[in-house]
Amino acid sequence: MGEASEVVIKLFGFLDVTGEVIAMWIILGIIAILSLIVKSILKEKPGKFQNIIEWFVEYLDNFFTDLLGKKKARQNFTFLASLFIFIIFGNYSGLIPGVGMTDYVKAPTASLSVTIALGVIVFVFLQVSGLKHGVKHYFKRFVSPIFIMLPLLVLDEFIKPASLALRLYGNIFGEEMVTHQLYEILPIGAPVVMMALSLLFCALQAMVFTMLVSIYLDEATEEE
Amino acid sequence: MSTSLIALAAALAIAFSTIGPAIGQGMTAKAAMESIARQPDAAKDIRSTLIISMALMEALTIYGLLIAFMLVSKI
Repeated sequence: MGEASEVVIKLFGFLDVTGEVIAMWIILGIIAILSLIVKSILKEKPGKFQNIIEWFVEYLDNFFTDLLGKKKARQNFTFLASLFIFIIFGNYSGLIPGVGMTDYVKAPTASLSVTIALGVIVFVFLQVSGLKHGVKHYFKRFVSPIFIMLPLLVLDEFIKPASLALRLYGNIFGEEMVTHQLYEILPIGAPVVMMALSLLFCALQAMVFTMLVSIYLDEATEEE
Repeated sequence: MSTSLIALAAALAIAFSTIGPAIGQGMTAKAAMESIARQPDAAKDIRSTLIISMALMEALTIYGLLIAFMLVSKI
């Protein structure tokens, strides 16, 4: 909070490029290259690499189907899965040795600006899918049990993405800080303990984020 | 004087915001484990609900952690 990232490149003289942005570019590049490779080797009879990717996509598909049901999960699979993949790559990028030590590459999800941007994207997505589902239904949801609930329910719509953003930021930033403090105490050995725990937590946070988004989506597009 | 007070406030912020969620998470985990032991078939559903409720409780601690970091950066 408050701590502004160092601007490392001034693109075209006015675009401030920080370490987080460079890390996100690298992540985007990795994901894009990976997708292109997978696309080029797709076969009827899957090889080893294709099997791994298929397992991962199937896992995500089952994960969203359990939460949303078949129809809605398929409709929103691209958005939710991209969110998951981006967050998990962002979280794990902080575990690569050296990331976060320099100003040039920093874990994107350990920055409040990035997670708030994700929160804003989720907010727009939820409102749009709620409106698409039915305008009458969308407005009815705000006064659903009783009219007095209106301010609370409107506020709730803004608190949801804010709490998503703060949770992701706090968890990843907290982990980075603890790892850094352990590094200061004993540079060799001590951070490994926290990094091993982070391997679990990073995946868990990406899962929790997408899980909560899909639950909110389920609420927003509820069948009557 | 004020520096030491800020340090104390940061310590108290994280300490108190850990106590409540810790108790809550312990109770949640206990209930989930008991129900999994009673009904191993429902383990999958219980696990996902457990993770969501844990994450919501975790958020409270994270708010305390953020306040603590903010206070520490003021020293």
